Amino acid sequence: MRYPRLACGVAAALLASACAATGTTTTPQAAAQETAAPGFLAVADQALAPGGTLNLQVHIDSGAATGYDPQLADVATTWQLLSLSYETLVTVGPDFSVQPLLAEKWDTPDDRTYVFHLRKGVAFSNGRKMTADDVVGSLKRLLASKGVWAGQLGPVDEIVKDGDDRVKVTLKEPYTPFLAALANVPAAILPMKEIGDKSVDPATTLLGTGPYVVDNHRQDVSWTFKRNDTYWNQGKPAADTLNITIAPEEAARIAALQNGGAALATLGNVDSASMLAGAKDVKVVTQATTDFYYLMLNSLKPGSKLADPKVRQAINIALDAQQIADIALGGKGKPTAITPAGLPGSCDPATLPSAAKSVEEAKKLLAEAGAEGLSFTLTIFNTEPAPAVAQVIQQNLQQAGITVKIEQMDEASWSGKVYGKAPAEFDAALSWFAGYADPGMVTKWWNPETAGFNAGFMKPDKELSTLIDAANKQAEGRDEALAQVCAKADADAQMIPLVTRPATVAYRADQLSPSLYATEGYGNVLRLVADARVKKSR
Amino acid sequence: MQPPGPGWWLGTDNLGRSVLPRVMEGVGTTLLLSSIAVLVTAVLSAAFGILAGYRGGYLNELVMRLVEVLYSFPAIVLAILVAAVLGPGQTAALASIVLVTIPLMTRLVRAAAVAVAQRDYVTSAVISGARLPRVLVRHVLPNVAGTIAVQGTYALSVGIAVEGGLSFLGFGVQPPQASLGVLIQQGGTYMIAAPWLILGPGVVLVAAILAINVVGDGLRDRLEPRETRSLT
Repeated sequence: MRYPRLACGVAAALLASACAATGTTTTPQAAAQETAAPGFLAVADQALAPGGTLNLQVHIDSGAATGYDPQLADVATTWQLLSLSYETLVTVGPDFSVQPLLAEKWDTPDDRTYVFHLRKGVAFSNGRKMTADDVVGSLKRLLASKGVWAGQLGPVDEIVKDGDDRVKVTLKEPYTPFLAALANVPAAILPMKEIGDKSVDPATTLLGTGPYVVDNHRQDVSWTFKRNDTYWNQGKPAADTLNITIAPEEAARIAALQNGGAALATLGNVDSASMLAGAKDVKVVTQATTDFYYLMLNSLKPGSKLADPKVRQAINIALDAQQIADIALGGKGKPTAITPAGLPGSCDPATLPSAAKSVEEAKKLLAEAGAEGLSFTLTIFNTEPAPAVAQVIQQNLQQAGITVKIEQMDEASWSGKVYGKAPAEFDAALSWFAGYADPGMVTKWWNPETAGFNAGFMKPDKELSTLIDAANKQAEGRDEALAQVCAKADADAQMIPLVTRPATVAYRADQLSPSLYATEGYGNVLRLVADARVKKSR
Repeated sequence: MQPPGPGWWLGTDNLGRSVLPRVMEGVGTTLLLSSIAVLVTAVLSAAFGILAGYRGGYLNELVMRLVEVLYSFPAIVLAILVAAVLGPGQTAALASIVLVTIPLMTRLVRAAAVAVAQRDYVTSAVISGARLPRVLVRHVLPNVAGTIAVQGTYALSVGIAVEGGLSFLGFGVQPPQASLGVLIQQGGTYMIAAPWLILGPGVVLVAAILAINVVGDGLRDRLEPRETRSLT
């Protein structure tokens, strides 16, 4: 008697599973996008009264290593949190266009000179008015700092005050991404007077011109932000309080959305929309970002076969980015070259030299390098979808006779292993870059002399660096120069671009009316959080 | 992700793989890993527990204090510590299971050995001139074997849990290799949208632990005939 009962029980459970899978018919992503304005996934309902508390959840609190100093912040997740208190001269719009922020406008009398007209009435959260000295001091401090973003500002020659409300920046040579580089948090305007008299240490205190001030921060647990009452933009921020919970577990964030504990959460799993389908009042939207995953191959590890360009090229050829996008990212990512797919002027990854070659050619290159039967370890962080991406890479490379052993760890351990030592001890690692708003910006990370964080595993390639600088110098006819950069980086293959990284955001439509761009270049899902209107707080 | 169907009896996962072969692989991985670890635990616990229980004195104090130090760490913290030192992988998982399960088993074996050491047949053996190894192996070990067997089954289930926790944190079994812990953790993420992902490995895990406990119970009945029998 026991076996039939067991069989019935299992059958009932499987049937329930099947029903659960097929019973979800809502398409929350489409629903959210239907109501948005062009360029937006969602637009906050301005008819709703401001005020209230907004509960958010994100997966990581990554500022511990570099402190609160925005100029030293080197990862997008930190920029996202610091952007609530700090602002930059310019920002980016939904179409990656550079738009005014603390500078209400700017002039470019020639291709090497930028004159920023500072917005009047801007004050730091301690009440002191922002001055041109703060702007000059902040940019000079950034250039003199060890922050990685200093390299993105380009060949700055001089930064001077040009009257009380103007700042003039002169470049040594034209540098097309300059404005887009100013739009990121490390280029934020700091309270230089207070930093100078040491009454404020930016490593431990957030004092900016942004919409929120920090009320409380418990590392890896939570942030609480209160509205900045001196904020220059009248009517913003809409919410009085932001509670940001650090919830590393994706399932915990999903549960918080379902039970109303979170009004908005960032999600890493590409199946989040399916998992939340049918959840009452929950909308899931996917931002198309210029961020992309890439594979690092350590060419500096003593005795490693990966030091041989032929081996790296073979790996590059054997990788199938479309398959990674389709399988690991559920079709939400796109293959990309070194210039992020989706940005105007970016290279078409299908035209890269490696894309035209077959696995047989990869095997031939491995044979020429004496690396048949190549085996290496791929170090990844355990946050989705990295394990899925790694497994597709493993399968791709198996086709070329390359054995990949996956080693996954938490993000802090991963970061320590990949960036903690020079020369680095890993063989290969998976990571992602923010793609920013200009196709030339991220290419600068392919020069380890600019991107010091890569110096532990990457040899400088002078030819590639020269091409990158040349492409960023051009304003017109830049596509061809960028194509040369893409082809050279493809051959160098010390860092291999894979697929774009979509950003999934879910929110409770009964608690919140958010504004969200359809595109994002700096990994900042919270970019428009000051616009969000709270319907009800839990 | 497809629900169970004719082509894939337990459905498919987020990468489109059939869950059934993953579960079968996971059973093998988990049970093999946990069994080896518990075997190591059993050998070490038997050696230290019997010696400490039979000899007493400083040796007993030393073993018990060491065991208490290990016991003072929460299981998963101890496992993470071991994994951080050894690096992610099966070796770390194995060592972690051993260190997590060894304190309780050593204490129980030692308690059983203290009781056995007072028995007349042990005293007779000693008076008859039996050497220490013979007394321990021939007279004490067989009489604490039931305790080891029963505790081994408990340790096996703890081992499965530790393996799952470590694998979830990325310190244990590495992808794409499957283990029951990995599959259950992955399934937990998709529990609402794709419950079949957790159902297969979950049912197998429950069945495996039940089976292990039944075997342990039977072993105890066979090895400790004079002790209280199981209720079944």
